[in-house]
Amino acid sequence: MFKGTNASSGIGIGKAVIVEEAELVIKREAVADKTAEVERFKGALDKTMKDTERMAADLATRVGEKEAEIMQGHLMLLMDPMLTGEIENTITGEGICSEYAIEQVCTTYADMFASMDDELMQQRATDMRDIKTRMQRVLLGVESVDISALPEGSILVAKDLTPSMTAGINPKHVTGIVTELGGKTSHSAILARALEIPAVVAVTDFLKKVANGDTVVLDGSEGVVYVNPTAEVEQEYSAKREKFLKEKKELEQYIGKPTVTKDGVTIELVANIGKPEDVEKVLQYDAEGIGLFRTEFLFMDRIAMPTEEEQFEAYKTVAEKMEGKPVIIRTLDIGGDKEIPYMGLEKDENPFLGYRAIRFCLDRKDDVYRPQLRALLRASAYGNIRIMIPMVTCLDEYREAKALIEEIKKELDGEGIAYKKDIQVGIMVETAAASLMADAFAKEVDFFSIGTNDLTQYTMSVDRGNDKVSYLYSPLNPAVLRSIKRVITCAREAGIMVGMCGEAASDPMMIPLLLAFGLNEFSMSASAILYSRKLITNYSIEELQAVADKAMSFVTVKEVEDYMRAFIG
Amino acid sequence: MISRNVTIKNASGLHLRPTGMLCNEAIRYKSSIKFKSGNGNETNAKSVLSVLGACVKCGDQIEFVCDGPDEEEAMEAMIRLVESGLGE
Repeated sequence: MFKGTNASSGIGIGKAVIVEEAELVIKREAVADKTAEVERFKGALDKTMKDTERMAADLATRVGEKEAEIMQGHLMLLMDPMLTGEIENTITGEGICSEYAIEQVCTTYADMFASMDDELMQQRATDMRDIKTRMQRVLLGVESVDISALPEGSILVAKDLTPSMTAGINPKHVTGIVTELGGKTSHSAILARALEIPAVVAVTDFLKKVANGDTVVLDGSEGVVYVNPTAEVEQEYSAKREKFLKEKKELEQYIGKPTVTKDGVTIELVANIGKPEDVEKVLQYDAEGIGLFRTEFLFMDRIAMPTEEEQFEAYKTVAEKMEGKPVIIRTLDIGGDKEIPYMGLEKDENPFLGYRAIRFCLDRKDDVYRPQLRALLRASAYGNIRIMIPMVTCLDEYREAKALIEEIKKELDGEGIAYKKDIQVGIMVETAAASLMADAFAKEVDFFSIGTNDLTQYTMSVDRGNDKVSYLYSPLNPAVLRSIKRVITCAREAGIMVGMCGEAASDPMMIPLLLAFGLNEFSMSASAILYSRKLITNYSIEELQAVADKAMSFVTVKEVEDYMRAFIG
Repeated sequence: MISRNVTIKNASGLHLRPTGMLCNEAIRYKSSIKFKSGNGNETNAKSVLSVLGACVKCGDQIEFVCDGPDEEEAMEAMIRLVESGLGE
């Protein structure tokens, strides 16, 4: 068995077809007629551009506009006057052949991109090398490997798949992809996912371990590959494959379906996101809104505080894309555990018990909190934005934040700037103090969202990142369950919405309990939405009451876990 | 010759797609269109490679410098495009 990076989920079983591009030999050769050589280069450039246009058009119709952008990007590079100008100058200036001039100029740019401290920019190095080889191949008259003609049931094996190679793949014939290089965000991985072909990338020295025609089994969800496996392994994966395809089909039926329990209770099933781009997945998996939009991304990896304007644009983009569906945005949740040089945060001895989140924001109203709240309020004119305050421990914190919001509203009124007048402001319930005071909070705030990751950590006094004690970290621990149940009950009694945005919200063992407690809204990673919708629509809350009562009667986590495991089967 | 400052608004900064939009617009003008960014280097706004090489991120301020017969229109177009968020 070989391990690699899981790049596109699913099981692939088939015969290995090793795709190797012939290594091009590029020699520095002098040319006598420089003008003719420049014309020769222009001819090759023209043909490469036409080929690229064809690939882009083909991808756009076969896969999608977004995937075609990769090829359109190549076209943009090929059309760049600086690139072609430099190549022409090298040909005439040094009197050398086109192949070598291309090698020199393109390699310089590829190296420049590769050395940049930015993953997206580093990928441009792959693009640069890809167009370089393609132009050289045209000049040398070397045919490219035609991937579109692979026989059915092929497992494509390559050192690395260039974007132009991946573009030619026929998903009907290619049942899997294994490469030695690449990563989760490389073009080939993105395309493999778009084409829904299982793929494992970054399998070290794989080409030395496989021959053409070998049987290859790969699991793109786990990132493992087998070459000529035993009959048992092949059967096991064949069964896994059937199961994967069946489940996938089954889950797709839940797209567009409402999330209603068997006894008619409508549940809000929403997603957690970390940046505006994540909205695409939220819509793809049919989430009914956003239950947690973390805003830290706006503040990380940069040298200065984001402006109000910049934040406004990011929040507005998400609100507009969600077209009126609820978007809960959490205000800044940072502390001494994050290195943000311009914030002037000192290293905290105990960052999770220290100067962070709302504590920090209320202390830094003028330069941090006010601009963020103003941006949120302004963006609320463009959709259904709700504001959520993290790590609240006492009412004073909520009242102070709320007063600041009211102050900013007046300010906006004075400036004639639009915002959602009845914008909801809620809190994240994630500290033991907030949970114990939930009845008092419920009378003042507009909604609760239980953050189980931190609530578990603070309730159990356990750092889940510490292997020696992480066994204590479980939301199924009776102490945590009692806390969750109490928060939900207080919210229901006060008539406010109560949701959950921690990992527990998509845990199959937790879902029946949360439904029985009366949770209104479940927020999770987008990829868990459809499976959770399936689970929720198959339960009756009334019937779950007895299960919850039984689970709550236990006093150790093991008893609860054993019982819930047996219940979900 | 005229110059003006503008702040990059779109989330991903001057990456391939936004850069493509910018360059496609820039090449429509006769004037030379350049910009200076944080590293002080001058970047040719008509070249995708030049712009990508400047590694401009969201929130960065750049100074456009246009020079030529249609410099006013060119400047107007550049500023409008950047402020509109370059398609993001």
